[in-house]
Formats: sequence, structure tokens, C-alpha cells
Amino acid sequence: MKKTFIIFKKELIDTLRDKRTILVMIVIPLLLFPILINIATKITVKQRQKAEEKILNVALILNKNGGSFKSLLKGKKKINLKENVKEHEITNKIRNGNLDFAIIFNKDFDSKINERESGIVRLYYKSSEEVNIQKSRMVNLLKEFEDNLIFIRFKELKINRSIVKAVEIDEHDIASMKEKFGEKIGGFLPYIFVIFCFIGAMYPAIDLGAGEKERSTLETLLVSPAKRLQIVYGKFGVIFLAGILTAAISVFSLFLALKTSQEIPEEILTILLRIVDYKSILLVFTLLIPLCVFFAALLLSISIFAHSFKEAQSIMTPFNFLVIFPVFIGLFPGVKLDSVTALIPVLNVSLATKEIISGTIKAGLLAEVYMSLFILAGLSLYFCAKWFQREDIIFRNT
Amino acid sequence: MIVLDKVSKKFRLSKKQKREMGNGYKGNFIWSVSDVSFKCQPGRIFTLVGPNGAGKTTTLRMIATMLKPSSGKIRVAGYDTVKNPEHVRKNIGFLTGSTGLYARLTPKEFVKYYADLNGMDEAIFKKRRDDLFDILDINEFANRRIGKLSTGMKQKVSIARTMIHDPDVVIFDEPTVGLDVITSRSIIQLIKNSKEMGKTVIFSTHIMGEVSLISDDLAIIHKGKLLYNSTYENFIAHMKTGTIEDEFIKIIKEA
Repeated sequence: MKKTFIIFKKELIDTLRDKRTILVMIVIPLLLFPILINIATKITVKQRQKAEEKILNVALILNKNGGSFKSLLKGKKKINLKENVKEHEITNKIRNGNLDFAIIFNKDFDSKINERESGIVRLYYKSSEEVNIQKSRMVNLLKEFEDNLIFIRFKELKINRSIVKAVEIDEHDIASMKEKFGEKIGGFLPYIFVIFCFIGAMYPAIDLGAGEKERSTLETLLVSPAKRLQIVYGKFGVIFLAGILTAAISVFSLFLALKTSQEIPEEILTILLRIVDYKSILLVFTLLIPLCVFFAALLLSISIFAHSFKEAQSIMTPFNFLVIFPVFIGLFPGVKLDSVTALIPVLNVSLATKEIISGTIKAGLLAEVYMSLFILAGLSLYFCAKWFQREDIIFRNT
Repeated sequence: MIVLDKVSKKFRLSKKQKREMGNGYKGNFIWSVSDVSFKCQPGRIFTLVGPNGAGKTTTLRMIATMLKPSSGKIRVAGYDTVKNPEHVRKNIGFLTGSTGLYARLTPKEFVKYYADLNGMDEAIFKKRRDDLFDILDINEFANRRIGKLSTGMKQKVSIARTMIHDPDVVIFDEPTVGLDVITSRSIIQLIKNSKEMGKTVIFSTHIMGEVSLISDDLAIIHKGKLLYNSTYENFIAHMKTGTIEDEFIKIIKEA
């Protein structure tokens, strides 16, 4: 036990002095979310503001119809009305950027309205991310115009407007805020911590296994009085700790990003932070512990097998997808935690997290998830220890 | 004392290795060391000579308990390498020419790590470390990261690591490979010092100049088999050619 700790301590110092590991383990997960969320929200808000505040060049061809629409349009701010545009020029002018929108009333618009039929108004624009926001300004204007016309019709017919609404749906969603948001957040959280746990464990694993082989330091460690098991447990301990720490830092970073983001509305933020309480997060991390044991043992086994840093990296890369895939499956609607999915590693963590955050986890299923994960963790660690005792694996490159 | 009694080591061949052996090779195994017996006495330097791939490193790795013999017995400092590997390792120092060091540790941390793994008493460790650092002139760079040291400095740190626990048996596996003349000489000096201190020294090389410099006993190994095993004096006395190198090649060719 003492020797295991000596090895653990040395490997930890060695790992913490490795700039590459620090970058993957601490810097990236810590900065990723604040940067990502702040940049994304800033860009979105700025684009929306820009789209909403832009003075739009709008061509209006009434064809001697819809006079009230013109006065409605004139009364609106940030609209530059152009009335002398010919219909055949419209497409080119929009394409060249001289016009943003063109509204053309069909020649029979007024007569159709008078006959209480639908009059056609054509709206021309060139769609893009920004124009779609501006388009809603135009559509809202046309709806306002339509509302006025409908109001007149009802008045002329002397009927109440509610006559066209036979059924009014009065919704009563009894799902709590926690349940409503829990599933969405709970689906996204495992994406972060499972993947970061794997990535965080990956570099120390490569460095402490294949890296030792490549640097020819393994031999001196093998001739020290430490037993192979003590060596493997010492190394495993550091890889496990790196994985857990990276996952914790990534979750902490996400909360930090949410808390510091000025663009997220206060009421949504309060709900988010209230839903994800510390008890739930702690419970989720107890699931992550056996999963991280599995990752650390798996990655160390691969690393011990590999000739070099490069080979270890190329073997581990496909495993990234093997980890991401079950987490991704867990995001599909309809995929629920049941007695079968509770046994599938990684997927069970993803699904159980959703339920824990929503507060709907059943004790029996949670026990099944723990059982499955602990068996997997135990087997992988046993395999890793055995693997490290095999001469043909340790000295595979000689 | 090191005693090898009819020691053999076979390795399973991978498919790729089998292909490389050619179509004539039918077996699944290759004997890297076959029926090797010899004794290394305390206070004497036992030199194991052989061309590349002769089985020198495999033999030394079995002595150092990194590999288990397929058959035969090895005793080091009175302990069986299979039954008491930890006791054996506590009594050996192992140095190779290609030994790497932890670049992110300092010489002080590196040597302390191995002292701790050897279970050394703190006071004894400090005294021994200070002595070794003085002899090897390590003090001026003792707190610098190993990755920033020159090859010569690194080799000195390797020596300190090998000798920190004052082992009874010292194993040198081609320790001067790739080193410059000055660093090689300091290794040869270390081997001589170990002998003077009454330690059992086994030294493998394929550089004939080194054989004549330090050997007390000599064994020649080729294709896993021991072709010669006697004292260095005997070897010189019965030489049929003009130089040690020629004699070595003659023995290899006759095998």
C-alpha cells in the first residue's frame, strides 16, 4: 500500500507538470464553456438586435388596392418605403441588396376582400439567417393588416369573433419545472462530463503507460522492489483522478459560464440553477466514479499494450466514438431508463442522469445501474492488473 | 552472488514475427536463451559478451526479475528470482545505456523516488544521497528538471539512482551504448568501484575494448547459447588468434 502511494504521488507530480495534460485536464474544460456560451449568446443577441433595428427598404406595389396597408406601413418606424419600383425590377433589386422586401397586392385584392374572400399579397425577400428575423417584422405587419380586415368583416356581419373558436384548449401541465427542464439539462450534462472524463483520463494514461515505454523509464520502475500490482494501481489512481477532476472542472465551468453570462434572462437562470441542486450533482458523480474506474483501467490497458505515444493515441481515438455513441443515444426522445438500458454502460449513466436531474429516478433502477457499473469497473481493473503482469505485453516492443 | 542453473527462455512468436522468420520456420516459439548456466562472484566483474540479439538483455532481465525463466533457476543474493522477486529487486541495481529518466522530475526527486521504493530509512538515504551527489558532482544541477540536463548529467543521475540503495548486485546492460567517451569512462569507473566495494557485478557489452578493461570472468553468448564461460585470464591464455575481437569472432563462427 505504501509503495502504491509512493508511485501514485510521483505519477501525480509528473502528470501535473506536463503542460499538455494540464491543458486538456484543466485549462480547456475550465475556459471552454464560459468562452463558448459568452461568444454564442453575444453573437446571437447582436445579430438579433442588428436585424431588428435595421431600416428596411420595402417596395410596395398596391396595384390600386389595399390603401389602408400603405398608411399602416407609413406609421411604422425603421421602414423606408419605395413606391416607384416596377414589378419586373423586384427580383434584381432584392438580389443586389437595393431592396430588402417587396410587397405586391394582387390586382383583384380589393374585390376579393369586398366579396369576403381571401386576397393575395405576395412577399418577396432573399432568405438568410438575418433576413428571417426581419421577415417576421413584415409578416407581423401583414397580420396586423389582416386582423383589421377581419375585425371589419365581423363588425359588418354583426357576429362575435369567438364564434369561430369552438374549442379553447386550457392547458394544465402538471410537470414541475424540475421535470420539464430536467430532461433537457439531464440529457446534456452527461455529454459534458462523460466525454471530459474520458478525455481527461486519456493523456495521463498515454503518458504513464506508452510514454514510459517510449522514454525507456519503465524498465527501471520494473526493477524497483515495487510489485507489478502496486505499479499498476499507482498509475491507475492518477489516471482515475485526472478523469474525475476533468469532469468536475467541466461541470463547474458550465455553471460558471451560466452564472457569468449577462445575456441569459435572470428568470431562466434562476430556474436552471434551482433545478440542478448540489445533491443531484453529487448523486450523478457517484455514477461517474465507477464509470471513470472503467475508463482509467481501459485506457491504461491500451496504453500498456501500445509501443509508443502515437500508437496509444491511434488505438484510443476510436474508443472516443464508442463513448460518445451511447451518450448520444441517451439524448434520443423515447429512450428511457429501464431494466435493460440500466445494464448498458455509459448509456445507463446518460439516462440515469436525466432522471436524477428531473427527480424521477427509481431506486431499483438506480441500484441496477450501480451494479452494472461496479461490475464493469471491477472487471476492467482486474483485467488491467493481469494485463500489466504479462511479459508479452510489457515487452511487446523488444 | 548470481547463480544461473540451466536457464532457458522462450517467447511466443506473433504472426508477423513468424512471417519474418521465413517459410522454413514451423514452431510457435523461439528460444531466446537456452540452457544457460554461470556464476557471478562478489568482488568480481562478470562480462557477458555477444552480438546483437544474442540473448544478453533477456538473460539480464531474467536476473533482474523482469522476465521469468521458462525453465531453470536463478538465485540472486541468495533469493530465487521467481519465488522472491521483490527481495531480489531490493538487492540489485540495474543500469542500461538506453535507460530513460523522468524529464519533469529533478535529480533530487528522482533519486528520492527510488530510495522510497526501496524502503530506505530517511537518515540513511540523505547521507547516501549527499555522498553520491558529491562523488558524481550532481549538486549544482540537483534541483533542475532532468529534461533540461545534458546526456552526461543524465547518466550521472542514472548512476545515482542505480546505487542509492547500496545494492549487493549491480547489473549493467550495455551501459555505454550511445554515450560519449567521457561519460563512458565514468560508467567504467563506476563498474570498477562497485567491484572494489565487494559487489557482484554483471556487465553485458559487445564492445571488445571494454571487455579487456574490466573483466574478471567472461562468458560469450550467441543465439541464446553459452559458447564460453571462464575467467578472463583463461580466455587470454588460450587465445588462438591475435586479438580478443578476432578470438570472439572465431568462437561465434565455429558455433
